Amino acid sequence: MSTSDNVLMAEVSSGQVGKMAALFERHHRPLFRYFVSMNRNRELSEDLVQDVFFRMLRYRTSYDPKQSFTAWMYQIARNASVDQAQKRKAEVVGIDEFDGQRRPEPASEAPGPEETAAKGQDLALLRRALDRLPEDKREILVLSRFQNLKYEEIASLLGCEVGTVKVRVFRAMRALEQIYFALLKEQTA
Amino acid sequence: MTCEDVKVLSADYWSHTLDEAQELAFETHTASCEQCRTEVERLGAMWKSLALLPVEEPGANLRSRFYETLAAYRQGLESAPKPRLREKILALWPKQPAWQMAISFALLAIGVGLGYEIRPGKTAEPAADSELSQLRGEVSSMRQMVALSLLQQQSAGERLRGVTYAYQAPPSDTEVLSALLTTMNQDQNVNVRLAAVDALHRFGSSPVTRAAVVQSIRKQDNPLVQIALIDLMVDLKDEEAAPELAKLAGDEKIDSAVRQHAKWALGRLQ
Repeated sequence: MSTSDNVLMAEVSSGQVGKMAALFERHHRPLFRYFVSMNRNRELSEDLVQDVFFRMLRYRTSYDPKQSFTAWMYQIARNASVDQAQKRKAEVVGIDEFDGQRRPEPASEAPGPEETAAKGQDLALLRRALDRLPEDKREILVLSRFQNLKYEEIASLLGCEVGTVKVRVFRAMRALEQIYFALLKEQTA
Repeated sequence: MTCEDVKVLSADYWSHTLDEAQELAFETHTASCEQCRTEVERLGAMWKSLALLPVEEPGANLRSRFYETLAAYRQGLESAPKPRLREKILALWPKQPAWQMAISFALLAIGVGLGYEIRPGKTAEPAADSELSQLRGEVSSMRQMVALSLLQQQSAGERLRGVTYAYQAPPSDTEVLSALLTTMNQDQNVNVRLAAVDALHRFGSSPVTRAAVVQSIRKQDNPLVQIALIDLMVDLKDEEAAPELAKLAGDEKIDSAVRQHAKWALGRLQ
């Protein structure tokens, strides 16, 4: 979130709807990644991104400039996801099938120190472990790790204290580790 | 720092968002607490690995779909009639259901009130009233003319019809009253005179009627008419007629039935 996001959205709210294009360029990729991480369905995720921006246009006058734009946008994204799930049962595809649809871009072109530190860990296995996490735990990791939301923004989004968010992140990491090693045990058995 | 504090601050530690003092306290604890240290290191490595997961990119059509939607939305806004005014009005609508309900009832009441006021019958009413009163006036004048005309006819039957028409004249119609009083005193036919006395009930509120009735009783030569006049005095509760009734009751020249009736009437009026 940046101040300019809030200013842009305030301008959209006042009727300059063309300014939504700038917000789209900044946020449609992170939003898509959020949805994909949650539902593992590319087509559905694109529909949801489209739906979120349409909802932001439609409800633009309800935006409070004092409020974090990112938190507001993800609140709309969560609502859109819930509504979509009610309309149709989300088509969840397996991780292997999903990977076959498209070759994802690596996060970094050149292996850095982080990649070196993660040496020995199977990223595909980590991906499967993440997918098997309960939805609430997966969401808090996606928001904090992938979307880089501040803990204050996540707290506002989830309606809880900042300290609670941090503890939930820690517990989600513990759960992820347990699933990861359980999968690793299955794989090596 | 406790082990619980470590759980709370681990996410910040992995993200390098702790300040210098917090980071020092965190590392001091983990250096001395093996359980915390190993867990923070294990989970920290996984935290780093999460950043290495491939980044998913949306398809190119997502952008084109968005810009099509935005263009359509802008076009819709431009063609919409006074959208800003509508939004301002909608913004005034309260969020609380209690207020929404209160305003809804108030608007319903105003709507019913306005509907009642501007109903088609209501707007036409003044004109209709005017026409109706004009018509009533015309009919009344016509009845007066008919009544007055009939009361002057040679035929007793016609004059009786004239008395009947007099019933429909308003009590304020002095011309009809005058004609009825004339008929009461001068008509040759007893039945017509009796009918005129009955018709005078309608004009009883007038002092002219009361005085004329008292004066008429001596002029009448028919006991039936006299008794009818006494009944009229009683019906009109004319206390001023009491002296005349007392004279009638004591007048030996008057029909005995009339005297007795006069006594009865005195008892009613006193």
